[in-house]
Amino acid sequence: MTTPEVLAVIMFATVCAVLLMGFPVAFSLAGTALVFAVIGDWIGVFDLSFVGFLPQRVFGTMTNEVLIAVPLFVFMGVMLERSKVAEELLESMGRLFGTLRGGLGISVSVVGALLAASTGIVGATVVTMGLLSLPTMLRRGYDKSLACGSICAAGTLGQIIPPSIVLVLLGEVISAAYQQSQLDQGIFSPETVSVGDLFAGALLPGLMLVGLYIAYQIVMAIIRPDSSPALPPEEGIAGMSRGQVYAKIAHALLPPVILIVAVLGSILAGIATPTEAAAVGAIGALLLAGLRLDESHGLAIYGAGLCLVALLVLTGFVDLRVAREEIPTGDLFAIIVAVLLCLGMAAGILISLFRVLRTGILQSVMQSTAQISSMVFVILIGAALFSLVFRGFGGDEMVHEFLEGMPGGVVGAMITVMIVMFLLGFFLDFIEITFVVVPIVAPVLLTLGVSPVWLGVMMAINLQTSFLTPPFGFALFYLRGVAPDTIKTTDIYRGVVPFVLIQIAGLGVLALFPALATWLPKVVFGP
Amino acid sequence: MSTLARFAGFIDRANDVIGRGVSWLALFMVLVQFILVIMRYVFGVGSILVQESLIYAHGALFMLAAGYTLLADGHVRVDVFYRGATPRRKAMVDLCGVLFLLLPVCYLLWDAAWPYVAESWKVREGSRETSGIQGVYLLKTVILVFVGLVALQGISMAIKSLLVLSGRAGDIPGADQRSV
Repeated sequence: MTTPEVLAVIMFATVCAVLLMGFPVAFSLAGTALVFAVIGDWIGVFDLSFVGFLPQRVFGTMTNEVLIAVPLFVFMGVMLERSKVAEELLESMGRLFGTLRGGLGISVSVVGALLAASTGIVGATVVTMGLLSLPTMLRRGYDKSLACGSICAAGTLGQIIPPSIVLVLLGEVISAAYQQSQLDQGIFSPETVSVGDLFAGALLPGLMLVGLYIAYQIVMAIIRPDSSPALPPEEGIAGMSRGQVYAKIAHALLPPVILIVAVLGSILAGIATPTEAAAVGAIGALLLAGLRLDESHGLAIYGAGLCLVALLVLTGFVDLRVAREEIPTGDLFAIIVAVLLCLGMAAGILISLFRVLRTGILQSVMQSTAQISSMVFVILIGAALFSLVFRGFGGDEMVHEFLEGMPGGVVGAMITVMIVMFLLGFFLDFIEITFVVVPIVAPVLLTLGVSPVWLGVMMAINLQTSFLTPPFGFALFYLRGVAPDTIKTTDIYRGVVPFVLIQIAGLGVLALFPALATWLPKVVFGP
Repeated sequence: MSTLARFAGFIDRANDVIGRGVSWLALFMVLVQFILVIMRYVFGVGSILVQESLIYAHGALFMLAAGYTLLADGHVRVDVFYRGATPRRKAMVDLCGVLFLLLPVCYLLWDAAWPYVAESWKVREGSRETSGIQGVYLLKTVILVFVGLVALQGISMAIKSLLVLSGRAGDIPGADQRSV
């Protein structure tokens, strides 16, 4: 190894140590890189003027249109969390399935998947379910480990089931890596991969995992009935008329399902970009919050929803474009109707805004959105400096050679990357790994011929598994934070082991059948 | 010491006000993007000016809220060890982190961004589109403001860590919780 390469290795080891100290990640990454850049400059193996590119990278992040989806999705997720949609969903699903053996566990898996698709915030999902479902499950004599394992596993689905913020970031990074790898190969009209492709690719594998979780709950209910007892009938739906049951389920289930279908559907149908869909989702979440705050005066908000549907129908049948030379009278009339519908929608949105503003929910949602976006993008800036210096030392060349020299060719390289990311996932968050590690390893793997969508989904599931794995998994810490003291940490650890095995099995299936990830994007967006 | 504590309190209040202020940009982004969607898909019209205002809002939101996020301890930490550490140890980590990581990075970024921004001001750099917002030089200036806000918040963090380490944690201004 040459001197700069040695420095690159030492820098990587140092940054791991510095990160473990606990200072905010963004500044740990950038600060360590800076120290090594100065050392490199001093001994003459690094040109400090390289760092002059940094402001341009920062400005590039500020003006990246794909990344605008992040604050919008965060806004939507936090708004749904604060408006107690999750609580109601858990309660209703528990009643619906609870009277079956293993039913509470199944409802946790289903709700986890639904929340994953609507909020995508892992910490929030685990905490919500830990606070609401865990006490019920324990009171009903559920096996402690089974209950904890189910909640942790269901909570991490938020990373893999679209629309998830993680997939937006991963999609952006992989897209850049894909361009680079094709340019390196001398392909000057490179194919592209988009965030939408990754959303489509992650959908089936995500649903497969949910299916496996549910299957596990059913198997446990059959072979160890005492581990997952049923609720007594009076806590279920007994005593309620059929109509009441339907009303209750519809009330809890319809809003998140409509939101998911609207957001995901418009992306997968190729109509809207993720950013546009995120804005629609955020408005939907806002209307829902407004409705939940004052159910008895919901007319204006239902009206806004109806106006939106009517507007869509109208758009489907009549040409409403206003920028035309001549507009026939019929179209003109329809345009006036459309404007009125928009006003109706605006009224509902304004009323919702007023309600969330008065209760202080709006302020807390906006402040969380500002903080989370800032957290994500400042790490991106820190990681940009880190990669600049790492590249300057020739670190990426070294990783290239190392991976290309792996026995077993592309399979060996892929397995190595997967194992390294899994281990890093113990102490680094998804965001850091996406911004620091993926840009270094992805171009190599893509050059070796790996499909970008499949690679992204494999990485996402791999990291999701890592976050579940004892003793360092993030999801376990979140649950530990809200679990009662009667739960021992070892209960949580024992409980997630079967789910970790399920995840690994899922990864194996996806590795053997890449079409699980690559089929849907092809169908949806064309080859 | 009390002068220092007051200075830290002043920085905290400033970043708090700025952070709460710019957080409205999040709502602005949601509403404007939604209006753009309706205009584009229903009425078939678009506006580069409005589209660009979204980019400006996005850039300003996360950059200008960075100091506020540091104040609210919203920048993610690897807290395997940090979580269980004593207040003194945490203060030590924060103090060293600010002095050896955060402030040098701020210095570097300021140093690198100054000519970049000055160049943009010199030509009053505008949008590539004629109907866009002619204020790219202002958006670039946000980088310098970001550095300033984060550096100031870092200094406040260092002062508060010093107070903890010297056993005067009671002097820390506004020990109330600001995080959301």
